[in-house]
Amino acid sequence: MGLKKLADKVAEYQQRLAAGQAKKIEPELVEHVLDKLRRKEADLLADLASETDDAEREEVEHKLKVAREHIERAEWLQRELA
Amino acid sequence: MTSVLKNYSVILPLAALVLAFWFSPDLQEVAAGVAIFLFGILMLQDGFKLLSGGNLERLLGAATRSTPRALAFGLVSSTLVQSSSLVSVLTISFLSAGLISLIGGIGIVFGANLGTTTGAWLVAAFGLRVDIADYAMPMVAFAVVLVFQKARPVRGFGYVLAGAGFLFLGIFYMKDGFEAFRDGLDLSRYAMPGIWGLLVYTALGAAATVILQSSHATMVLVITALAAGQISYENAIALAVGANVGTTVTAMIGAVGANVQGKRLAIAHLVFNLVTAAVALILVSPLTALVDVVARVAGVGAEDYALKLAIFHTIFNTLGVILMLPLTGWLVSFLERRLPETKPDVSRPRHLNAAIDDYPETLESALRQEVSHLYDNAVKLVLHGLNLHRETVVDASDLGAAVRESREPIDLDIGDEYERRVKTLYTAIVDFATRATRHRENAPEVVARIDALRDMAGGLVRSVKSVKHIRKNVLRYTTQETGAATELYDALRTEVARVVVAIRDLDSAAPDERSTLWLDQEAARLAASTRKGERRAGALIRQGELDPSAATSFLNDASYAGAAMHELLAAARAYFAEPDRAAAELEGLLALDEDEIGAAAGRGAPGE
Repeated sequence: MGLKKLADKVAEYQQRLAAGQAKKIEPELVEHVLDKLRRKEADLLADLASETDDAEREEVEHKLKVAREHIERAEWLQRELA
Repeated sequence: MTSVLKNYSVILPLAALVLAFWFSPDLQEVAAGVAIFLFGILMLQDGFKLLSGGNLERLLGAATRSTPRALAFGLVSSTLVQSSSLVSVLTISFLSAGLISLIGGIGIVFGANLGTTTGAWLVAAFGLRVDIADYAMPMVAFAVVLVFQKARPVRGFGYVLAGAGFLFLGIFYMKDGFEAFRDGLDLSRYAMPGIWGLLVYTALGAAATVILQSSHATMVLVITALAAGQISYENAIALAVGANVGTTVTAMIGAVGANVQGKRLAIAHLVFNLVTAAVALILVSPLTALVDVVARVAGVGAEDYALKLAIFHTIFNTLGVILMLPLTGWLVSFLERRLPETKPDVSRPRHLNAAIDDYPETLESALRQEVSHLYDNAVKLVLHGLNLHRETVVDASDLGAAVRESREPIDLDIGDEYERRVKTLYTAIVDFATRATRHRENAPEVVARIDALRDMAGGLVRSVKSVKHIRKNVLRYTTQETGAATELYDALRTEVARVVVAIRDLDSAAPDERSTLWLDQEAARLAASTRKGERRAGALIRQGELDPSAATSFLNDASYAGAAMHELLAAARAYFAEPDRAAAELEGLLALDEDEIGAAAGRGAPGE
């Protein structure tokens, strides 16, 4: 989900960058955020493995889904900015 | 009473000046010299504010990392702005705003006392020997050209140059004014010998500094009067000691509006200057003998009393620092014992202080801390409104169970508490943020962040207002078991508690490890949970376990609780936003919008 919306946001960001109204996002910064996101994904997976309550597991799964969406977006952005 | 005093503080000096000019027209030139000198100090201060830009907070942080650094910072800053009183008052404001430590503040104030001695050197070594008006005139003329430039640093440099020019011009007029007295009034006739002379002239020096609000100006007056032979060397020494005592009054006045930390620093300043003055008066004979030795070694003439006074001023202030520096630790613990931290009044702003209005980044930092204070108050009220204690929520290993066990009604008039703990702070924040808008031209990015903090405070206010609507039904359904309605309201309370815990977790994470993107995960979890709650309510109605009236109340209240949670999450998003612009841009790109979060919550997640 959402890569089309992300592409629109990136296009808008590029316009602001060209007009000097935004700061350049360096690939190293994306890598740094990706590292954080992957660590968070690992934490959520550990929570999921240790959770026995079904309702709690379901909540963690929702969080995990969003974490993976963020990772997918960051990887796409990394390729775009490379 | 205060307004009467304020009126007198204007009328009395003006009346005194009129009388003095009536009896001695020659005094006009001396008074004009003092006025131009003080005007120069004001211009220097404005110039350094413009030159420092938004770097003051970083500078203060670096300067107070150790006592020697703080000492050096106090020395350099008071030398540059030629006012130890200003440095002391600003240090008290920054300490009150929580930007520096008490020990760092004490270091700065001690250093400022040393820096104040440079004024005496400026006049004695330079002002009296060279016709400084020759330098002052072109400096002021060049400065005016720079002051009208658009570029901030150039304008700042223009103010500094003009300030220095007016300082020189002021010294020139004071010197010239005292020369005119030579043929008329002879102040030296009133000179007093012995211990009484010391005490009376010390008191006069203190009084003159209180009136002029500048020990620098007093010292310049004393040195020019001494050079013109209007006062004796012994009396000039006592006046210099008095000037040091008088300068503490400005700091004490500055501490009136400060918190307990600011008051501690003002007292430390007073203790330092009183001890230094007492030691200087007790050891006046050996100190003057030491001055003679230093003067001989430095090649200063035996009759050059102006330079000898500058040497005395530096020696006795240095002696004060040497005596007091080893006692700083003891002084801090003494002050902390004698002036204990009062239980903070949660309803009053703690960090907003009008003295930092001129420093945008410092202002932002203080506002940030005040918004955090408002967040604490708002969250406490939100939880109390739901019959939950914050400690119960944050310490719970099983949040659902902890909420179900919270049946004791919390005695709370949420309307009164909202007025006391939230609205008062919010009003102060809006007022402070509005004042900051005047920096929009010079510091647009800082003002944009201040606007975001103000909006965030508005969101916190709305979250409390939302809970106000739920309070009645919370008391009705959660203080006793009422079956299905209690189950639904407990689930609602648990959701709010989860959001509070998620924000607490974000706050306690290391800044380099956390990301506002975690809040998207929390929002998705919340959206899924809300849908589940709605489905559960529908099922309970269909099964006849929930009557339509209770069901309607719950759905309304669920909407209010949802609004409160979204406001809290939005506030956290703004508060924990990356300070680095590129990092903030990146997080903005990666963040999911409401539809995307809803989609993530609705479709379910792949199992592992």
